Amino acid sequence: MRGRVNSDRYWRRAAKGVALAAGLVLSSAFVFAGGGQESPSIQGSHSADDGVLRTVGTTTQASDLLRILSKGAENVEITGLMGAGVDPHLYKPTERDMRAMNNADVVIYSGLHLEGQFDTVFRALHERGVVVYALSEPVKSGGFVIGGFDRALSKLGSDDPHFWFDPRNWELSVRGLATLLAEIDPEQAEVYRANGETYAVQLELLYAWANEGMRSVPEGQRYIVTSHDAFQYFGAAFGWRMAAIQGISTEDEAGVGDIQQTVDFVIDNRIPVLFIESSIPPGTIQAVIEAIRAEGEEARLGIRELYSDAMGAPGTFGGTYVGMLAENVYTILQSYRDAGVDVVIPEWPAGLDISPPATLFK
Amino acid sequence: MTSRVLDLDRTGGSTGADHSARTGHSENLTFEPSLAINDLTVAYDGKPAIWDLDLNVPPGVLMGIVGPNGAGKTTLIKAALNLIPRAAGSILFFGRTYDRVRQRVGYVPQRGSVDWDFPTTVLDVVTMGLYGRVGWIRRTGAHERRLAMEALEQVGMTEFSDRQISQLSGGQQQRTFLARALVQDADIYFMDEPFAAVDAVTERAIIGILHQLRSRGKTVIVVHHDLQTVSDYFDWVTLLNVTVVAAGPVDSTFTTDLIERTYGGRVAALTPRDEREN
Amino acid sequence: MTLISRSRRKDRIVLTVAGAVLLLVVPVAALAGVRFTYTLRTVTAGGLFLGAISGSIGSFAVLRKQSLLGDALSHAALPGVGIAFLIAGRQLGALLVGAAAVSLMGVWFISLVTRMTRIKQDTAMGIVLTGWFAVGIGILTFIQQRPDASQSGLDSFIFGQAAAIVRQDVQLLAVVSVVMVVILILNWKEFKLVTFDPEFAKANGYRIGVFTALILGLVVTAVVMGLQLAGVVLMVGMLIGPGIAARQWTDRLEHMVLLAGIIGAIAGSTGAIVSSLDTDLPTGPMIILVNSAVVAISLLFAPGRGVVQDLLRRRDDRKRFAGGGQG
Repeated sequence: MRGRVNSDRYWRRAAKGVALAAGLVLSSAFVFAGGGQESPSIQGSHSADDGVLRTVGTTTQASDLLRILSKGAENVEITGLMGAGVDPHLYKPTERDMRAMNNADVVIYSGLHLEGQFDTVFRALHERGVVVYALSEPVKSGGFVIGGFDRALSKLGSDDPHFWFDPRNWELSVRGLATLLAEIDPEQAEVYRANGETYAVQLELLYAWANEGMRSVPEGQRYIVTSHDAFQYFGAAFGWRMAAIQGISTEDEAGVGDIQQTVDFVIDNRIPVLFIESSIPPGTIQAVIEAIRAEGEEARLGIRELYSDAMGAPGTFGGTYVGMLAENVYTILQSYRDAGVDVVIPEWPAGLDISPPATLFK
Repeated sequence: MTSRVLDLDRTGGSTGADHSARTGHSENLTFEPSLAINDLTVAYDGKPAIWDLDLNVPPGVLMGIVGPNGAGKTTLIKAALNLIPRAAGSILFFGRTYDRVRQRVGYVPQRGSVDWDFPTTVLDVVTMGLYGRVGWIRRTGAHERRLAMEALEQVGMTEFSDRQISQLSGGQQQRTFLARALVQDADIYFMDEPFAAVDAVTERAIIGILHQLRSRGKTVIVVHHDLQTVSDYFDWVTLLNVTVVAAGPVDSTFTTDLIERTYGGRVAALTPRDEREN
Repeated sequence: MTLISRSRRKDRIVLTVAGAVLLLVVPVAALAGVRFTYTLRTVTAGGLFLGAISGSIGSFAVLRKQSLLGDALSHAALPGVGIAFLIAGRQLGALLVGAAAVSLMGVWFISLVTRMTRIKQDTAMGIVLTGWFAVGIGILTFIQQRPDASQSGLDSFIFGQAAAIVRQDVQLLAVVSVVMVVILILNWKEFKLVTFDPEFAKANGYRIGVFTALILGLVVTAVVMGLQLAGVVLMVGMLIGPGIAARQWTDRLEHMVLLAGIIGAIAGSTGAIVSSLDTDLPTGPMIILVNSAVVAISLLFAPGRGVVQDLLRRRDDRKRFAGGGQG
């Protein structure tokens, strides 16, 4: 009696082989295609001479500024790389980003290593002849850059990159970028310069308004407590101080010691509110809050998230620089008011182009 | 040709082996074979390791399987114990499939099949033979310990019961494995090269145990590597080279002619029974 | 006879010392002035449970010569986290389930490759480890464009963010620890047999597939629990370090697994405490450092298997036998 040949086993093995091959092909497709490349790609030519000024902005603030300055100008193309809520310290440039930057006439970035994963990219672009401009440059050369974190001033050699939170710094950047655009596109130089001037006036109005409100809080309670150290400039602009769990970059991992120190700080200084940032996982702040409550003290969260590294969605109030800063001010002041602190929330200045939406006042 | 009378007592009851059977086909047997293999084919990498193998082993014999390297000896045992899949064929133990009679089958694998640096004692290893009987969740107790110690006594290893297995010599490792199979009190035992690289004392001890098993009516099937000792140790032999060349009582089957056919050519330094003095 | 009782006595001493060290970690730290704030208490407890879980089940990976498997499993979990986020958003439970599922797929893939090709197991593990981790990075890069992505903290799964664990996480870890201990006890002899001699087990009718899957399931559970604390990259250290160290001190499986659990717990709790002593000390890496120190000490100084003792013995032998010249 001949044995049965196990033919169905043959088909099962064939099926497994196909699955195996498919799995391998898919994996390698992922690895070789889209995924985050660190090195700049070699493809992509320089801008064609078709009269279009191609610009790229890395952060939401950079894209926002490009849009404002080029309002009314023709043939200006703006590509923004990072979207709302994206953490620029951790964002890794994609293949598409590389192509856009290689094809651009000018790349605008924030600088001071805010775009933590772009350092080699900017160097390479510069070598290829693309105009690369850091918005922090006029601020740095003006001597307004703050170094490191207060207590770690001696340890850190790097600069705090969140300079744009002081509207007076941003004004410097506005003028700097306007000048650059005028140089690159002399035919529309007037447009850029005029936009720059108008916007500078807006920023001054914003600063005065914010200053009035923020300084109405009693000095002993002027502390912003967040996950990472983004608000030093904001504080310096309005006479407030910062306490953060992580350092100036979200790449740092928070340790137990960092959490504990923050907890002690909040309790000792009787700080009424802690804030979550829009682009950072709230885990560490929540750990701080639980710890504070476990000690029997009160701990409140801000009524809204603060915009730190990234602005809000485009088209919303928080999606523009003025709106973003204003919303942060409202969030802080309203949270303090709800915590029982006597604050003054000044009237929105009439001269500003945009107005806060009703939802902010609910 | 005189058939030499074996030294040991073979009066173990029900076995009545038929000495004239050569090929082991079912028509010639008058008893239920302990192991009946039919048309077995096992393939590795698309090459047949065993091809169309037929074998019938009467109960109560001590049988050696010999053959050149790559002949499929270990493969045969593993296929019988369902450790590797087969492409075709059937294997029956006492007329039933393996799953039904697993309790009655004992296995002594090659020593090299485990990592002897594993943190466990000799007694522990022997007790493993009883796990199946104890069942899931339950723990082994004094009863199992006693059975294990008895098995260790049979192989002469009682004073090593608490010894870490990495401290054992080759012969002691082999005896431990043997004890693990003995503790199961099976009816048919499979052993894969139990005499490979053991000292003479151990070898004598083991063969003594195997003869004892046979005299108790057990069937013992041994993959063996040393042609010199086949006639002394076994009463049945299977000559294997991908398929069965011959199988039957040692006297009639272990002849120069058949050996050479199995190994493919003259096998020097071999003195099979019929050419030996005395 | 002395050989046996000596080893039993040694084991008893080793286990007692280890247990004592574990119990003393917190009191000694407190006496030394460490403030056990709520945060530190939580992270220490979390580290303790996680260390115990991963150390004990990781012993089996070490014994099966599959230490790399732990690494492959944890790296393979990363795409699972990303995919789960794409499907379910920022739900921790969903992320962990995704991690576990893809991790297990990685295991299946490894065995498939090993069985169907000539590729050896550690090569297959290497493929899965690097390839799937790369897929994970790719998915995370794709995700980072989404507005709610940075908030999800998916990146923190790579290196862990131990300091952010809260009481709930510790409760979950405690429950998982208990479940794992129960499973280990129930299946102890089966795990032992299947790890030592899978062939014999199979011949005796054991469904080794089931028990192997159970062991793997426990490893995956430990890995997934540890993702938040130690992260994908460091998890393998927590899995195999304690087992390697424990093997140096004992020759009994029961004692080895118990000792590995204790060592893991010591590393977890001590690492957490050390990370609290100053700011800017990340907890996950601190735990691994303590772990590695214990492994190094065990490899060097353990009696019987330690390198130092080996060298000393060899030197003794040479001295002793060099004198007695040959005829």
